[in-house]
Parts: sequence; C-alpha cells; structure tokens
Amino acid sequence: MKLTEAWHLSSLPYREAVYRSLAQERNRMWWGAFGKNPSNRGTDEDVELSKRALRIAKFDKLVVAMFNLVVSVIPFASLLLGSSGLGLTSAVSLSLILTFGFMTLHAIQTLSSFVSAESSVLLSTLPITSNDFSVVTLFSFVRSVDYLVVGSVLSQVVLVAYLTLSPVATVLMFVASLMNSVFAVAVALWFSRVFHKNYLRGGRSKRTTLFRGFFILIWGCLLLGVGLLLSMPYYVLPVLDKVLLSVNTLSGILLSFVYPFSAGLAIAKLSGSSVPLVTVFGASVALAAYALAAWFSAKWSLGTVKRISQGAGVRIDRLKAVDFQIKARGPLRGYVTKDLRVTSRNPATAFFFALPVFETVIVAFLAANYELLRASTVIVATSMGAIFTLLVPLALLSSEGKGIEYAKTLPITPKRMVASKALITMATYVPVPFALVCLSLFKPLTSGFSILIPFFMVISIVSASIFEIMIFLRSVGRSKIAGIVNDAEKIFVGLLTILVPEVAYAVVYLSSFNHAFAALTMGGVTLAELWVALYVLGRK
Amino acid sequence: MKSLSAVECGVGLFGDLAMGPLVEVSGVSVKFGSFLALDNLSLRVMPGEVFGLLGPNGAGKTTTIKVLTGLVVPSSGKVNICGFDPQCESMEVKARIGYVAENPIVYESLSPRDFFEFVASMRRIDQAAANRVVSRLADVFDLAQYFDSPIATLSMGLKQKVALIASFIHQPPVLLLDEPLNGLDARSSRVVKDLVSLHAQRGGAVLFSTHIMEIAEHICTRIGIIDHGKVIAEGTLEQLRSKTEGKSSSLEEVFLKLTNEETSVDDTARMLREAFLGNETH
Repeated sequence: MKLTEAWHLSSLPYREAVYRSLAQERNRMWWGAFGKNPSNRGTDEDVELSKRALRIAKFDKLVVAMFNLVVSVIPFASLLLGSSGLGLTSAVSLSLILTFGFMTLHAIQTLSSFVSAESSVLLSTLPITSNDFSVVTLFSFVRSVDYLVVGSVLSQVVLVAYLTLSPVATVLMFVASLMNSVFAVAVALWFSRVFHKNYLRGGRSKRTTLFRGFFILIWGCLLLGVGLLLSMPYYVLPVLDKVLLSVNTLSGILLSFVYPFSAGLAIAKLSGSSVPLVTVFGASVALAAYALAAWFSAKWSLGTVKRISQGAGVRIDRLKAVDFQIKARGPLRGYVTKDLRVTSRNPATAFFFALPVFETVIVAFLAANYELLRASTVIVATSMGAIFTLLVPLALLSSEGKGIEYAKTLPITPKRMVASKALITMATYVPVPFALVCLSLFKPLTSGFSILIPFFMVISIVSASIFEIMIFLRSVGRSKIAGIVNDAEKIFVGLLTILVPEVAYAVVYLSSFNHAFAALTMGGVTLAELWVALYVLGRK
Repeated sequence: MKSLSAVECGVGLFGDLAMGPLVEVSGVSVKFGSFLALDNLSLRVMPGEVFGLLGPNGAGKTTTIKVLTGLVVPSSGKVNICGFDPQCESMEVKARIGYVAENPIVYESLSPRDFFEFVASMRRIDQAAANRVVSRLADVFDLAQYFDSPIATLSMGLKQKVALIASFIHQPPVLLLDEPLNGLDARSSRVVKDLVSLHAQRGGAVLFSTHIMEIAEHICTRIGIIDHGKVIAEGTLEQLRSKTEGKSSSLEEVFLKLTNEETSVDDTARMLREAFLGNETH
C-alpha cells in the first residue's frame, strides 16, 4: 500500500476515535456545545456529530496548537524584547519543558480513544495486510497530534534561528524539539495505556484504589509542574540562569545531565554564550543518551500502536465477585459517589482530583513571597486558586456522557444533580482556606479578619458552580456558535461570581480602612450570591 | 398528589394501585422537526397485562416508550402512568417505572455493583430490599464473573442483563421494556420472559416492544401493532387474527398483513432470489 493511500485511509479510524471522544464530551465541549436537545433528538444528533467530528476536531486541534505555540514562545519573550537579563539556555530549556508538559497533558486527553483497539475494529475487517493495517493505524495516531507537534517544533526552531543566527544551533534545536515531542507522546501513550489497563481491571480491592490514586497524583504533579512554570516563567528563569551558568556549582553540573537543560546548554554554547566547559561536556554526553532514549521511545510508541491496532495487549482480569451486596446511600450521597467514580475513571477528567493539591500550592507559593499576609495578598492568592476550581463543574458535566439519559429516568431532581456537582467543586477548594490558616501561623496577618476571605470564597465557589451548570443547562439545544458564546458566558459568570465579593471587600476597605467592615460586606455579598443561585436553581 | 417521600421508596408500590389503567396514552403526537414520529397514538395497559408493541423499524415504538418515561415531550395528547403525568409529575412517574432502553444506557465506567448502588441510592430503596433483588437476579443471570468489571468491558447481552436488574431493583408497578431481549442468550431470555409474566401476575403492567413475533405471541396478553406512528391494530392475538378475516394464522402473518408489508416482503424475496441466484437460474 502506498503511503499516501495509507494516510488517506487513516482518516477512517481517526474519525472514529475523534467521534468517540467527542461523543463522550457531547454534553459539554470546551470549544462549544453540540446543541443537545435531550427531549427530541437522539439519533439525529449522533449522525450530525459524526458528520462534523473531523471538522470540529480540526478546529480544536488548531486552537490547542495555537495555545501550545504561545506556551513555547513565552520563555523567549524577554530575549525577543532585547532584555539581556535572561539567557538562551534557560529560555530553550523552559520552552521545551512547557511544551513537553502541555503536549503530554493534551495527548493524554486525546489518546484515551486510541489505547483500545475499538476505533480500528472496522478497518480490521477489510482485506489489508497486517503491516499496512499497522501503518494506517499509526497514521491515524499521528493525525491526533500533528498540528501540536508541527506548531511547537516550528516555533522553537524559528525562534532559535532568529536569536542565534547559527545553523548548527538551529539544527540542534530541531532535533531537541523533535525529541521533546517523541518523549511527550511516549509518556502520554504509556500513561493512557496504564490508566486504561487499570480501568479495565475493575475490582474493588484496596490495591486497585491505591493504584488509581497514585496515578491521579502523578497526573496532578505533572499538571502542577506545567501550571507553575507557565504561571511564573519570570520567577523561574533568572534562578535557572544563575544555577546553569555558574562554573563551580555542583547543581549546575548536575542539571546539565538533566533533560532538557542539556539541550538548552548545548544550544547556548553553539550560539556563542559563555558556558563552563565541564557543563558543556556533561550536556553533550547527556544529549547523546537522550537521543538514544528518544529513538527507543519512538520504537516503543510505534510498537505499542501496532499492538493496539492488532487488538493485542490489554488483558481483562475478571475477578469473581464473592458477594452481590450493594450499599444504598441517600440520593445526594449516591450521586456524589457516582460522580466521583465516573470522573476518577476517565483519564480526561481524573486529573481534576489533583486540583486541591494544585490550588493549595499555587496559593501557598503566592502568599509565601510576602513577609506579611496582607488582605490584598490573601485576595490575589484565593482568586488564583478559585479560578482553577471553575473548571471542575464543566469536567463533571462532561463525565456524565450518555449516562445522563439513564439518570433522567430516575426519580432525582435536577436540583440534586446540580447540588452534587457543586459540592464536589466546593470540596476541591476546601484545602485552600486551611492552607492559608496554616500559613498565617508563620506569616503574620495584617488583620485577623482577612483570613475569612478564603472561607467566604468557598461559599462563592458553590454559587459559581450552580451558575455555570445552570447556564450549561440553558444552552441545551443551541447551535455550535451559540455554544462557544455559551462557554465563554459560563466562565465569565463564574469569574464574576468569585470576583465580586473580593472586589466588595477591597472597595469597602479602601473607603473605610476597616477590615472587619470589609469582611462583613464580603460575607454578605457571598451569602446574597448563594441566595440568588439557590433561588435560580429552585425555579428550574 | 402523594408526597414524594412516600412514593420515592419504590418497593411496595403495588399496594397503591387503582384498578384503572396503569399506562394510558391518548391522542399523543410527537414531531421531530417536520417528521411526525407519533401520530395521534392511543393505547392502554391494565394491571396484570403484558402489552406487546410491535412495528417495523422507525414505526415509533421507542418514541412511544420515551414519551412514557418523560424523555420525549409530546407535541399534543395526554399521557398517564399510575395516574400521573410524566411531564408535570415526573418524579411520581419515575418512582413507579422500571425502564430498559433499546441500547442499554448506563455509565460505562461503573461496574454493575457501582451502577446498582447508584440506582438504589437514587430510588431511596431500603438496603436490605435492594440487596435481596440484586442478589437473586445477579445470581439468576450469572453475573458473578462480571459484577465488579467496568460495564464498558461487558458484552451487549451482559449490559442488557445489568439494565434489566436495574429496572427491577425497586419492583415498580410499570415496566417499560424496549427490546429487552436484545443480545440475550436463550437461558437469559427465558428468565426475562418468566420475570415479565410473574410481574404481570402480581398485578403490574408491562409495555414490551419487540421485533420477535414468537416472543410477543407467547408472553403478551395484548398486542398493539404500530406503523408510521399510529396504532393500526390492537387486541389479543385472536382479535388481531379476526381483523385479517382469519386468513393469517401466525402473528408474523397478521403483522405483515396489517402493515401491508406482505406484498412488499414477497417482492423483496423475489428480488433477492434474482440478485443472488440469477446466474444459476439462467
């Protein structure tokens, strides 16, 4: 089979995989709702979705690739603007780390459809050889990350070429960037595969639960790392520069062996920067080793994709149940339990369980930079944490999938469904106020009343979740464009809900210089928001 | 209207039943855009009845059942389940129905155990009662090997078994079963038929859509033939036979006769013979 023919044919399993992941997300799409009318359109909607799957996937890929492009450019920003304070070494290294993290996270979300052989089933019934079949499946796999990889490789290569004017450095950047993409895809594939295996294994043993928890934690750490680096490149870059370029520092020499600092150091040296000789030597040896590792990673990825396409690999262990006992809870507890189980078993939504850790670290990191915990510091820190929480209701909605059709035939009010999601969202934020309380034991507060801010924020988050879900429910039956507007609307209303009480605190304090009065006002505003949210929910 | 807390606990609802129809549909029409899926459809299912809904593909069987569950809103007409309207009193209706969809719709990442726990919790069923039903049915359906596996990994038949157990878990007075025997093996089909018959004997009502004439013939006390969104004939098998002036003996013949597909089936068979055996006959 010709490669062009295989590429053309690969759109079939790719389309199936895309359709599957889109159908999973049919209740909510980040880039726009699908216009779901639960009452009178079932099959029609599936047909429409399958027709538009490729177009929607292309649009989504483009948006994500654009974002990745921005992520890869951020570390070079100060160099482009002519600042001499930051070096090429740290810019290249940071750009590679960020794109690696972002690509891995994105690939984990999209590759979950590829880790089972289901999307290739239709193709496997056609009379083509197993080798051709593997090539076709491989191409369908490549299609899911093509824009992302091409975008980041191009941006990094062009930037290095522009900044160094060195052909060798440019070629090295190209190789490093390509290696970076290979590592990202391999890690994502491994992660998705392990998650999928663990998911298929089923069972209720403590070992399984611990195993799942462990992977959610790894996921969380990955997210945390990317998030921290993305939010704070200008805090990180100078520290990196200092460590990497110091001649006698052991940590600098050690870092030269660590990917992607080795790539950054080698490129900087080739462009004429003064890098200590011992560090360059370490970086060169490490780069050669990483090139070898990339080669093996690529081989492993190809082999894995081939095995998946041939339906080999995942073994399903069926453990015979020792009893058929079930535990009946109340409707709200039952729905919360269901939501937690469904979300934690989907690789695309499981990492939201790492949010409490993420938010706590963000808040602690921001607050730790100050000698005193002023009200303004607490406000900024709590807002940063709360903004990430706004994603949780949307993730919980998307994890419902087709199951919502069944849930609608059960005697549960929409109020309880919404309450369940609002409660889970709130729970992901609860560690933040306690982290701030702990921090206040070491850093004095300018006013004791300002510690109430994160606690009021918990109430505000409940209201924001209710508003977001209600807006989602209102969007049912709308077109794609209206869906995009609706997604923006959800986030805007969510943001407004968490910001208004804080603004109220700031305004009242600035006009009265009284923290007690400001805290009282903030509490009043959050309670008013909650009352409005519950009223709107009650009317529904 | 009864308070929700009293009726939400599904087990034992049989005691509340009146002697009137448990399912009543009067003049219901459903439009999907310009397509009329149900056209002034009416039917009634009395306590102790197993009502079979027969019809060609796209006749409106699934839509009828979805109207009864409240999933589809009718454009006009009245629907009544145990005296309650699925649109205005949806909670009352949902507490009294057990539903099996054409394609079992369940949360695929949950295991059957997780799923039954979810359903039992939503229906506020007493744990002991829920365990009694689940244990017996899971045992009868031979689910031990699959009880803790994700539903996504189960076969179509096993998913159907899970959906069936979930529909029986609260022992509702009304069962709405849309092609419940899809994918089931012979033994499990027999179990379902027995369950349905037992349910009717206890005074419950069953609305059962199927394509399999033999099943309808054996377990349905009354049959409604639906075509183009209308009930074109309704009654016992004998009554339906009489509508074809006694010319048809089996339900299949009655069905083809009443849906005017007898000639079309003969024509199709002739065309197929020509297409596949044409060379040999020439």
